[in-house]
Amino acid sequence: MATESNGAPAGAPAPQEAKTAAPASAKAPAAAPAAPGAAAANPEKLTPAQLKAKAKAEKAARRAKAIENKAAVVAATPAKEAGKGKGKQDGQPAQNKQHRPSMSGRRPSIGGIVEKEKDVRSGIPECFSHVPMAKRVQLSQAHKDVDPAVLVVGQQMAAFAIKDSISRLEATLLAFKKVIESYETPKGNSLSRHLVPHVLNPQIEYLTECRPMCFAMGNAIRLLKTKINSFDINDPEDETKEELLEWIDGMINERIKLAEYLIARNAAGLIEEGEKVLTYGRHRLVEKTLLKAKEIGKTFDVTIIDDPYERGGQTLAKTLRQAGINVLYSPNLGGLRPKVAGATNVILGGEAIFANGSLNAASGTADVAMAGQNAGAKVTVLCETINFDRERVSVDALTYNEIDPERNTADCFRLLFDNTQDKYISGVVTEFESGGGNSPAQAILALLRMREDPQIA
Amino acid sequence: MPPSQATYAPSLDKLIKSLKSQPCEASIEALIFLLKRRQVKGDDCAIATAHILLQVVARSKWHDVDQLLGRVQSVGSRLARAAPHEPVIGNIVRRVLGLIRDEASEDRNNADDLGSESASDIQSLAPTNPPPQRPAPTPVLMRSNTAAPGGLQVSKSMFNILSAATSADTPMTGASTPLSQAQPASVHALRTEVINGIEEIMDEIQQADDQIASFADIQIHPGEYVLAYQPTKTVERFLIKAATRRRFTVLIASIDPIEPGTGEKPYAALRKKLNSHGVTTINLASNGLMAYIPRVNKVIFGAKVIYQNGGLLVDSGACIAAQAAREFLKPVIVLGAVYKFCPEDPSDEAVIGELGNPSSFVSYADGPEVEALDIENTVTDYIPPSLVEVYITNL
Repeated sequence: MATESNGAPAGAPAPQEAKTAAPASAKAPAAAPAAPGAAAANPEKLTPAQLKAKAKAEKAARRAKAIENKAAVVAATPAKEAGKGKGKQDGQPAQNKQHRPSMSGRRPSIGGIVEKEKDVRSGIPECFSHVPMAKRVQLSQAHKDVDPAVLVVGQQMAAFAIKDSISRLEATLLAFKKVIESYETPKGNSLSRHLVPHVLNPQIEYLTECRPMCFAMGNAIRLLKTKINSFDINDPEDETKEELLEWIDGMINERIKLAEYLIARNAAGLIEEGEKVLTYGRHRLVEKTLLKAKEIGKTFDVTIIDDPYERGGQTLAKTLRQAGINVLYSPNLGGLRPKVAGATNVILGGEAIFANGSLNAASGTADVAMAGQNAGAKVTVLCETINFDRERVSVDALTYNEIDPERNTADCFRLLFDNTQDKYISGVVTEFESGGGNSPAQAILALLRMREDPQIA
Repeated sequence: MPPSQATYAPSLDKLIKSLKSQPCEASIEALIFLLKRRQVKGDDCAIATAHILLQVVARSKWHDVDQLLGRVQSVGSRLARAAPHEPVIGNIVRRVLGLIRDEASEDRNNADDLGSESASDIQSLAPTNPPPQRPAPTPVLMRSNTAAPGGLQVSKSMFNILSAATSADTPMTGASTPLSQAQPASVHALRTEVINGIEEIMDEIQQADDQIASFADIQIHPGEYVLAYQPTKTVERFLIKAATRRRFTVLIASIDPIEPGTGEKPYAALRKKLNSHGVTTINLASNGLMAYIPRVNKVIFGAKVIYQNGGLLVDSGACIAAQAAREFLKPVIVLGAVYKFCPEDPSDEAVIGELGNPSSFVSYADGPEVEALDIENTVTDYIPPSLVEVYITNL
């Protein structure tokens, strides 16, 4: 194991570095040419002893720098706070890039990461200090085994360019396909024993570091691992890889693409003629559903309650208006009671549903669901079954949540999700026809069992 | 509002300073102007109305009580019409009218028999000393949920204040007819009495926040998490008072989005004061509040108006806070001075909520968007009485 990870310290990092630098080149163009240059020059000229000395010196310099940084942060916390989001990414990539080639072993410059993490999290109020938060991991600080495709996905997740659970799942699966495609089992190992611990786990670790995994990703990765373990040691590698890739494709098609279509169809069927539909923010499934309902010729009005921190509702409003649907837009939760009182059907999208039937969704969803239920409207939640978590339960929003990395101090604090108890949900629409397209939230365990999917167990 | 307006438009302070130097009518017009442009709003409306009515009583020409009542009424209704979203103005006008009638009937009694009832009108309104000449109060304010934990003597006092105001409002001339032939000397005395009375009302308005704050350490306990929704001056005073005695955590929520790193931090002054007392404060930048309520022990906000059914007019979004608190069975504490008690039922418009300027939410540069969106930016919420646990007021 040790030999594998340290096996080719001179050769392996260099090409990796080049690939790594490519996605980052927009952000740190100066660093890109410098890094491979250093990597190429060093191993030839320096003796091992010299290398060691050099590494030591660099380490010392880095320590000094870190201490200096810390002092500076303490001195000027507010100034740093303001620019933190960007600063972390552009801060000192050049510096770290140059260290990298001389590093071997896992997690280079771990000191730096810990240091930074402390700074970023120090502003979080104590009562929320247990809640995880996405953070930008510098490309140079990522584990060296992380595949470039995964690196990109991780960065996009950390920057919230890929945001909702299903997009994240899809991006992850596609990246894993690349990883598997480029994977070759080392001599004396078999794919089913080697792939997960030595290749996939570092990728997963990195992704989790960038942003806490969503429940769909957790489910899919668990399924993927089960699938890999199910192969026999003696199965030929090519066939196994082929089958794995096919399995991932099937996963994407069945659990994402088909699910989306079926949910939109099922939910659109539930919208009645002339109804007043109310929704919160912008959720992919809700958008698809409303467009589908329009397409099959139903007439209805839509009220969109938006989150002023996301403003996805504006995009949704424009899309719906283009499709010829009457839209009323409210930029925040103000005046929700009278607005909900006029609605008959509240359609919400979810991020995950727990075993106790409670819904994890964009912050503010719980308020809308609660107001809707109290006003006597039907509250329908749309959610793919890959988002269901059959093992965990959540009773309040602080059990499983994330902090908005841009708003993580006492001056300005925000949680990304909230928790809607099942009593506020009239029904969940999933891609399973068998549930009649609409089953109570508590029934998710039954739903999953009914499917009797050996994969999901 | 664009900032340029502030430079030439008169403010309330300027108006109050210039009250004595300019004619009465000009001051009234100036206040109407300020009210219409919403440069005077919220709690300031009450004090501004009192100032203007003081000028009306002191400086306009009147020979008997009816004339005075008519004059106050007409000015009052002009002010109220200028700002229909501020029922507090009407409350102050009612208080002044009631005061004048009280004084007038006292004068009449003095003339009839010399046995005097020397209590000033404010005292006669106090709960311990209900005015004997009032008719049996109508059951306007009997609500079950005013009987709050903490045993505030709210229900009874609210009752007397409002019944005094309403009953004074309805019998238009009954009490004052005998006085129509009063002598000029008593007119002068009445003027002084009424002016004193209005000054007392003004004192009461100004002291209300402090009086409410004196309940702070009863309601807030050490180690608690308190959610303050868009703290008004009253709530700020309340929290700061509590902070001098207790260590707790304040979560401040607001409907206006907070952008990080834009320099100006909302509620910075309040937070600084609270922090200096060792109270932790957190600005919540969140639309929904259900996520935070399980962590919170109680929700506090200030009312704009408290209607006679116990419902509240509040800043928009406070209803979400109250509803969420109710779902998790956390107490909702409402702070409102007595002058905010309005002897009316909420209008339909009030229940639906007032619509505000949508331009901050959609950029006018984005043509298709402006074209596509029907935007409703609600700026006030109505909270039904069933969502409120405790009213704290200044009696």
